Amino acid sequence: MSTPQTSSEYMLLFKGTLWDRDLSPEELQNVMTRWMNWLDRLTQQGKVKAAHPLANEGKIITWKKGAPVDGPFAESKEAIGGYFLLQVSEEEALEIAKECPALKHGVAVEVRPIVDQCASMERVYMEHATGSSK
Amino acid sequence: MSAEIAGSPFMLLFRGTHWDSGLSAEEIQQIMSRWTAWFDRLTNEGKAKLGQPLTNDGKIVSGKKGFAVIDGPFTESKEAVAGYILLRVDDLDEATKIAKECPGLDYGMSVEVRPISGEIGRGPD
Repeated sequence: MSTPQTSSEYMLLFKGTLWDRDLSPEELQNVMTRWMNWLDRLTQQGKVKAAHPLANEGKIITWKKGAPVDGPFAESKEAIGGYFLLQVSEEEALEIAKECPALKHGVAVEVRPIVDQCASMERVYMEHATGSSK
Repeated sequence: MSAEIAGSPFMLLFRGTHWDSGLSAEEIQQIMSRWTAWFDRLTNEGKAKLGQPLTNDGKIVSGKKGFAVIDGPFTESKEAVAGYILLRVDDLDEATKIAKECPGLDYGMSVEVRPISGEIGRGPD
């Protein structure tokens, strides 16, 4: 468990839910067609484990004054509009991210490695390893 | 392919990668045990379809004119996504109820509950 984690799965998070505001219906249709072709191709290549658009609604749960509260979900530049879960190398994940048809309309793509063990547990193992080697 | 899949798909996005700062290794271990038990239960109930942590590194690709690739500052951030769970449950109320059980909430994490839209998605069903 002390070996560095490597990943062959990456999540692309598409950030920005306001990018289509200034597009005409034709332009929007054009981007969406390219997007679907892009996802179809990646799926046929066996690279897609899951992929979905997220609806512009929902809730955010936070902890306030000792109880979880749910608030409305607001559209923003930072909001996530959808995701791809890909089985690819890091290099490939970056190349695919650059192909996103909405990039030039202001969408940003977060490319995040996926691991079996979360970062916090890694910290626990590291501390145990350091402790036991003293 | 014609079989009806019960329920609706939702994604829980766990935000906050700073929640464990200041906690001891034992405390983190305890929270993670609760987290694993929670996820196992949801999986056994057929409600969690997939769920994974994201590492605190990665990159952001953006650019209206050519590409900008920057290393993401995903550590110690309240907003950064730390992981996700794909749910299939009855409705938004049930997804919200599950989100409120997240063991990271007590420590400053927030959980975004997002309906998955359309039929154009892929997997994991």
